[in-house]
Amino acid sequence: MTAPDGARLAILASRIETIVRKMANTLFRTARSGVLNSGHDFSCALLTADCRLLAAAESLPAHVMRGPDLIARYVAEMHPELRRGDAFLHNSPYHGNSHAADHCLLVPVLDDAGALRFWVFTKAHQADCGNAKPTTYVGDARDLYEEGALIFPAVQVQRDYRDIADIIRMCRLRIRIPEQWWGDYLASLGAARVGERELLALGGEIGWGTLAAHAESWFDYSERRMAEAIARLGSGRRTVHTRHDPFPGVPDGIPVTVHVAVDGLAGRITIDLRDNPDCQPCGLNLTEGTALANALTGVFNALKDHTVPANAGSFRRVEILLRENCVVGIPRHPASCSVATTNLADRVSSPIQRAIAEIAPGYGMAEGGPIFPPAGGVISGTDPRRGGAPFVNQVHLGFTGGAGAPEADGWLTLIHVGNAGMCRLDSIEVDELEHPIRIHERRLLPDTEGPGRFRGALSMRVELGPIEGSAMRVHYTADGVLNVAQGVLGGGPGSPVGAWKRHRDGRLEPQPACAGVPLAPGETIVSVSASGGGYGPPRERDPTRIAHDLAEGWITPVRAREVYGVVVDPDGHPRRV
Amino acid sequence: MRIATDTGGTFTDLVVEDADGLRLFKAPSTPEDPVDGLLDAVDRAALGLGLDREGLLAGCTTFIHSTTRAINAVLTGTTARTAFLTTAGHPDILVIREGGRSQPFDFTLPYPEPYVPKALTFEVPERIDATGTIVRPLDEAAVVAICVELRRRAVEAVGVCLLWSVANPVHERRVGALLAEHLPGLPVTLSHALSPALREYRRASAACIDASLKPVMSGYLAGLEGRLRDAGFAGRLLVVTSQGGVMDAAEIAAAPIHSLGSGPSMAPVAGRLYAERDARCRTAIVADTGGTSYDVSLVRDGRIPWTRETWLGRPYRGHMTGFPAVDVRSIGAGGGSIAWVDAGGLLRLGPHSAGARPGPACYGRGGLHATVTDACLVLGWLDPDFFLGGAMRLDRDAAATALARDVAEPLGMGLEPAAAAVMALATEAMVGAIEEITVAQGIDPADAVLVGGGGAAGLNAVAVGRRLGCRAVLIPETGAALSAAGALMSDLHAEYAELLVTASGDFAADRVAALLDRLEARCRAFAAGPGQDALESRIELLVEARYPHQIWELEVPLRPRAPGTAPDPAAITADFHDVHGRIFAVADRASGIEMVSWRARVRCRLRTAGTARLVPCAECAAPLVGRRRAWLAGLGWLEVPIHRFEATAAGLEIPGPAIVESSFTTVVVDPGAVATRTAGGGLLIHHEGSADR
Repeated sequence: MTAPDGARLAILASRIETIVRKMANTLFRTARSGVLNSGHDFSCALLTADCRLLAAAESLPAHVMRGPDLIARYVAEMHPELRRGDAFLHNSPYHGNSHAADHCLLVPVLDDAGALRFWVFTKAHQADCGNAKPTTYVGDARDLYEEGALIFPAVQVQRDYRDIADIIRMCRLRIRIPEQWWGDYLASLGAARVGERELLALGGEIGWGTLAAHAESWFDYSERRMAEAIARLGSGRRTVHTRHDPFPGVPDGIPVTVHVAVDGLAGRITIDLRDNPDCQPCGLNLTEGTALANALTGVFNALKDHTVPANAGSFRRVEILLRENCVVGIPRHPASCSVATTNLADRVSSPIQRAIAEIAPGYGMAEGGPIFPPAGGVISGTDPRRGGAPFVNQVHLGFTGGAGAPEADGWLTLIHVGNAGMCRLDSIEVDELEHPIRIHERRLLPDTEGPGRFRGALSMRVELGPIEGSAMRVHYTADGVLNVAQGVLGGGPGSPVGAWKRHRDGRLEPQPACAGVPLAPGETIVSVSASGGGYGPPRERDPTRIAHDLAEGWITPVRAREVYGVVVDPDGHPRRV
Repeated sequence: MRIATDTGGTFTDLVVEDADGLRLFKAPSTPEDPVDGLLDAVDRAALGLGLDREGLLAGCTTFIHSTTRAINAVLTGTTARTAFLTTAGHPDILVIREGGRSQPFDFTLPYPEPYVPKALTFEVPERIDATGTIVRPLDEAAVVAICVELRRRAVEAVGVCLLWSVANPVHERRVGALLAEHLPGLPVTLSHALSPALREYRRASAACIDASLKPVMSGYLAGLEGRLRDAGFAGRLLVVTSQGGVMDAAEIAAAPIHSLGSGPSMAPVAGRLYAERDARCRTAIVADTGGTSYDVSLVRDGRIPWTRETWLGRPYRGHMTGFPAVDVRSIGAGGGSIAWVDAGGLLRLGPHSAGARPGPACYGRGGLHATVTDACLVLGWLDPDFFLGGAMRLDRDAAATALARDVAEPLGMGLEPAAAAVMALATEAMVGAIEEITVAQGIDPADAVLVGGGGAAGLNAVAVGRRLGCRAVLIPETGAALSAAGALMSDLHAEYAELLVTASGDFAADRVAALLDRLEARCRAFAAGPGQDALESRIELLVEARYPHQIWELEVPLRPRAPGTAPDPAAITADFHDVHGRIFAVADRASGIEMVSWRARVRCRLRTAGTARLVPCAECAAPLVGRRRAWLAGLGWLEVPIHRFEATAAGLEIPGPAIVESSFTTVVVDPGAVATRTAGGGLLIHHEGSADR
């Protein structure tokens, strides 16, 4: 094949995309736990031999944009001698990973001469990772030891395509419901091996040199597209502030300051996260991987051009400044990073979206709704229907959170910014069949949206509790009770997260932000998700959209009049007041 | 005589089968009133057979119709004004859906509107739990109040889906009875009766979509039948279903959801027969190439895999019904796909399509963009004077102008290499689509023959097959009308299901036995009713099962059992391990399984196997037409032999490079490949070194 770059590049990029998609499809179809095969909380990626992200398939941005590169570098450093058939299990938050519950598998792809050509990467959120408490998000752990997860820093788990049984035995003894973990491990491994096999075939077919040259051209192309997208934003600087709610270990909450500089002429963006507190004695600290990935997520969300490929080439146009021992930077062992993928992570990406909207009206986004409401937490207990067998799993029942965007209302099922709505929400019937619970209510709440020209997604209320004969616990780590999603460019703020326990007598008792709430039969937890902020002034909202929201019951007539300045005539025609 | 028609976006295909064999006819589709295009095709067939419309239809015993009417109504929102009745506390099932998104950084697209507006959603006070126990009794007075409101709001159809109606349908049935009593004649669909499956969103979606289609489809089918009867048709009118079978038109009008996948579901039915007969292969990838879409389906060891996850519209933005259907995956790649170069200098194909109107630049109908068809013309693969047998003349200059301007110049490359790159990119997109479905269904393309359907299939089917490492590529003789040909071979069918959750370690044998007896009795009743004229009827029992903690089920056929007895759970478990291993490459043989729902399918064979061969063509006797200049990657311009598909003798080997063409299709045989006409009439292409050579 002798076609010049633009054509050949397209064809090879398509082939590589097909390989990562095949990995993702394999993992999805074979996973055992609900977090993966219902929730879709996993990612697959390919990296070059020198550990740069080349491609990722329908993955969670906060999982893969950065982190896999750091992990691959660490594995390469710890294992200078690589052989075909090796596989490495990694979840260390101090070496590129997100939280310890995200188990990564790294497989080196070596050519017939034994030279390293690529890395295949999978990351899958486990239903359990051996934490001291039955949850994968321990918000109140003062350090790694209190968190309790098994940590695998670049630990070899396969040699010659065979499991190293020592590692498997360790996991089986420490991880709750080991069969579930084992099934998910096999699924991840299967996906990684599919990726390896396909890359070996591709390299053999077109030549490893050609493939490496393609990667460079693809990075260059992606960088050009990124520079062009940034140029559209113009230039400007903003310093934005936000704050995570008070939490165990951090009674005043955690202030976050982000300095954003856009240089449209040079086509570059700089994000400075150094001006922030040191690591805190709680599970909220970010990892280097999640700090970098969430800064990038905020930038990419703000570009209004999803066709810019997200890889190491386009990332060259974004400089992210981090500091050691910083709560939104590089954690120092043994700081706990148990909640590193969600709470503070969103406190990095959301303000960046807002800053870019202020620098470049027509771009950027409002802030997404903070998480975690209890209806996204980890439930555990024993199941009277299965002879008292234990269960533990994260439920994806009640998230919303989408932020108002320049041209569209907030995506209802965003879950949170770093997730980007990629995970699924659970079916009521499936959850009631799987677990001894009843979900009494799941509904969207009117007038909860962050109002705007384009509004945020509404809040969702979920009420659930154990069935007769069962007892359970709901662990969650809620941000956004006090500090709600901010609107931008005149858009209004979103509504807060809420958590209450309903006692047998019907009394509602507010619950703390970070808790493991015990529930006996007859008791329920009431969870309200945070809504997203609005983009642009609500009074500039298209009246037909307001009329539609009113007809659908998403807002009430009072709100239409007082917040949006519109009344709707009995015949359905909106009129400004 | 039997007639099958397939109304596509561009053409309406019609296949006539009589004692001599099959004859294909095509007429342009007429989207405003699809029956017009269908009758045009009937007229062309009548002309071809030396008859008039009445003469043709009077001799027709069975008229099989596949239609995009239902799917178009859903996608364009032109269905009935439908209300949704749901369990109190859960009004947003159709809004929340199941979450998920495909482009993480694309926040320009609005969140999809629910299939039924929230304003027409009503909460019914009641609750049943997972075991079927009534937790909160049905408040009948509230249902009656809802009926009053439905009438006031001029609702035209109602979908009812209550939580756990699949575990205990008593509340849904009672709501149905109250609706019938207070709103007689209003079309209603009850979710448990239509689709007794787990997952409230899918069941609610299925019930609402079905209800919303009832007025549309009963009107459409009554109109079609009336016009056919007026023209002298006195036979049986059957409609193609998403399940790869046919049902009586009246049955479709009563449950129109069956017709959503009418058309594409038939390609694998035909593909299965041809792959087995012409390539002696029981595993096939069937790819149907249209003007705007590329539909892929499969045959796995003689069976056509189904799915519950067909999207109507785009993934996560359209609607999903969870209704079982032949697994057909579509991508927007076809002859009309537009090629362009982006600001970063990368060649792109789609997502925009020139469609049938205005169509590719070479159609000369006002299309200005460079398309896949234009690339084929520039490369000499298509003959501008013999497109559709010469029925339409193509403008090569217009194609070259568009390609030069939109692709070759921005890329800084010559016209022909640019056109070849467009084709290579189209091939990659198709390969990607095929890998999606083969991974999901656990098929290794190396075990399969690639069957190319649709007029444009042959242009790059050989290239696609080579990329996938398929055993061979087969272009059936009737490939240009694969779905219509499949419709002629299809069976009358029905399916019944019930939910009963049990486990291999604690097997509810008595309840399962009773359940299967009920399902089989319903199948036998169907066979004795609509299927009474069938040559034979077969009943198949299946269970949907999974490993503990898994969320998705797999379908496992049950081994034969005596009436009144339960199947052996150990046998089901062993079979489940095998199916799991085949599809996912892993099986956890130490694990027990959980069984969730039970299904029975009845299929009634309506006819003896015909030849499925085309009637020999009188005017195309010369096998070798001549030579034409064609441009091939790596070789450049060559004088390539042109063979006439219909006239090529069976067994003759045609080495590539060569082009084999008929009035309906053009097959490019790449260098290194060898094409052979089979005894069954198809063109079978092998690559050097492929396993079958």
